[in-house]
Amino acid sequence: MHVIPQLIVSTLLLGGIYALIAVGLTLIFGVMRVVNFAHGEFLMLAMYVAFWAFSLLHFDPYLTLVVSLPLFFAAGWASYRAVMRPVIHASHNVQIFTTVGLSIALQNLALVLWTADARFVRTDYYAVVVRIGGAAFNVAQIVAFVVAVGFTAGLFAFMRWSYTGKVMRATAQDRQASALMGIDTDRVYAVTWAVGIVCVGAAGVLLAPIYPVYPTAGLQFVLIAYVAVVLGGLGDMVGALIAALVVAAVEVIGSYVIGTAWKEVLYLLLFIGILVVRPAGLFGQRGAEALGT
Amino acid sequence: MSAIAPAVVFFAVAGLAPLVVRDAFLLDSLVLILIWGTSAAAWNVAGGYAGQISLGHSAFFGLGAYAAALFGARWELSPWLGLAVGAVVAMAIGLVIGYLSNRLRGPYFVLATIAFSQVLLIVGSRWRGFTAGSEGIPVPFRPGFWTLGIADKRVWVWIVLGLAVLAYLVQLYLERARRGYQLAAVREDEDAALSLGVPARRLKVAAICVSAALTAACGALWAQYIGFVDPFYVFSIDLSVKFALAAIIGGLGTALGPFLGSALVTTVETYLRAQFGGIGAGLVGIYLIVYGCALIVMVRWVPQGLVGWIGDRLRRRAVARVAP
Repeated sequence: MHVIPQLIVSTLLLGGIYALIAVGLTLIFGVMRVVNFAHGEFLMLAMYVAFWAFSLLHFDPYLTLVVSLPLFFAAGWASYRAVMRPVIHASHNVQIFTTVGLSIALQNLALVLWTADARFVRTDYYAVVVRIGGAAFNVAQIVAFVVAVGFTAGLFAFMRWSYTGKVMRATAQDRQASALMGIDTDRVYAVTWAVGIVCVGAAGVLLAPIYPVYPTAGLQFVLIAYVAVVLGGLGDMVGALIAALVVAAVEVIGSYVIGTAWKEVLYLLLFIGILVVRPAGLFGQRGAEALGT
Repeated sequence: MSAIAPAVVFFAVAGLAPLVVRDAFLLDSLVLILIWGTSAAAWNVAGGYAGQISLGHSAFFGLGAYAAALFGARWELSPWLGLAVGAVVAMAIGLVIGYLSNRLRGPYFVLATIAFSQVLLIVGSRWRGFTAGSEGIPVPFRPGFWTLGIADKRVWVWIVLGLAVLAYLVQLYLERARRGYQLAAVREDEDAALSLGVPARRLKVAAICVSAALTAACGALWAQYIGFVDPFYVFSIDLSVKFALAAIIGGLGTALGPFLGSALVTTVETYLRAQFGGIGAGLVGIYLIVYGCALIVMVRWVPQGLVGWIGDRLRRRAVARVAP
């Protein structure tokens, strides 16, 4: 029974990071009705930002985190303007292929610029392990968890109470009515997309001290985020948070019981299972992909 | 409805080229154009005609490749048998995915297909006892037609051409037959088609199964032609995107489009790889950047694809000639 505290702590730490990736994805889907297939690539680019800031400027990843948020927002805004804006009223298929195209282009841009080598951010506290009550964990994991949870909570508050958040929710509910109420929906989409990218960018910087970065590094995380987002109900932020913890639990317990080699199969099968049994997710509503258009 | 004359010319040129061309590089390019064109045509059956956009078709391709390789390398049986078994297994998985397509729409379906190919990728790369794991399987070269050990690239052109023509005929059937019209109705408005008594679900599942079997057959031939199966390549998302890209560039839901798209995509890929392959390891990725940008540009400005675009041009010219 000595492993149970460790499993719970690992689940929480992992789930916090997954939540931050998933929240950005589900926010973009919830408001724009677009599944961002390039989400993992933004994560990967953010990890590279942390890596280069560390190795060239000797910035600690947590300093980078603060400094780079405006950068991620700007990158998100620019990518919305350049790529997403023209297809925002197009069919699902056009949007899917646009973000898939963006994903491939970004992934291979990283490959061409920085080669396929796995790179590590080796901070001084990299190997520092904290032990509390039979559970051991890495300092970087704890910081990542705390910041990720704080970030997610901030996003919830932003969506709930800020005027911009209310406008975003209104646009999510009814695109046309919002436009009739004088809401600049184009601007709302730009902000939504940029905020989603900021979330995943923050997650990327937080992951940099824990995981190696390489051009396809985003894929494994974004697959988990897709599982969490669908499980929680696409567009449902609270659902995504809970689902991220569920997926983390499946991964942690699965790794412990059957070994790390097959853990991905577990959550992918969970994913297909959800899609078969309840495609709307645990808390979502049916037909969410066509809502509000 | 498209005219078949351009297709006849295309396949005739491909079939007669080996009689004239002796250059191994050109013949190799032709084989690859036909294999990728057939894979794209197979994808088009589900993605273009039935409107079921999949980004997991590499699952079927990899299944076919592994079936052929395992039959040859492990059991010393004919890869043709492997091709048949691979196609049948792919159809069975196509049934499952087809069932999913009846429950999921748009992005949900895409995510499900990606998940499927990822599951197979993990099985292929981790189940060491059966698939040789992440090392991949070298396909032994056993001379003969029955064992598909053929050194002569001209023969390969003809073998692959046979499958290409089959895939073309399947698409032509979908353009000309009653079932094809029904499938188009399902693609455009499933609820309306259902209310007219079209068996929408059955048609979609059938289209996905046929698409899966054809893709698996391509994978089996490709494995035998290349001589090596790497799980990280045959089950990759990049490969699924490649099928979709060739079909989109050529023209979604057109019979000849995927082949034209493949000719363009394969030529550009070969050229860029040759141009940048030797300089730095990372520069090989340049052709994929081009893929990604091409995808964004095509769906935005030329969603009807090359075939549709050329057709529009010809029609406009014809109208201009009639009008005074």
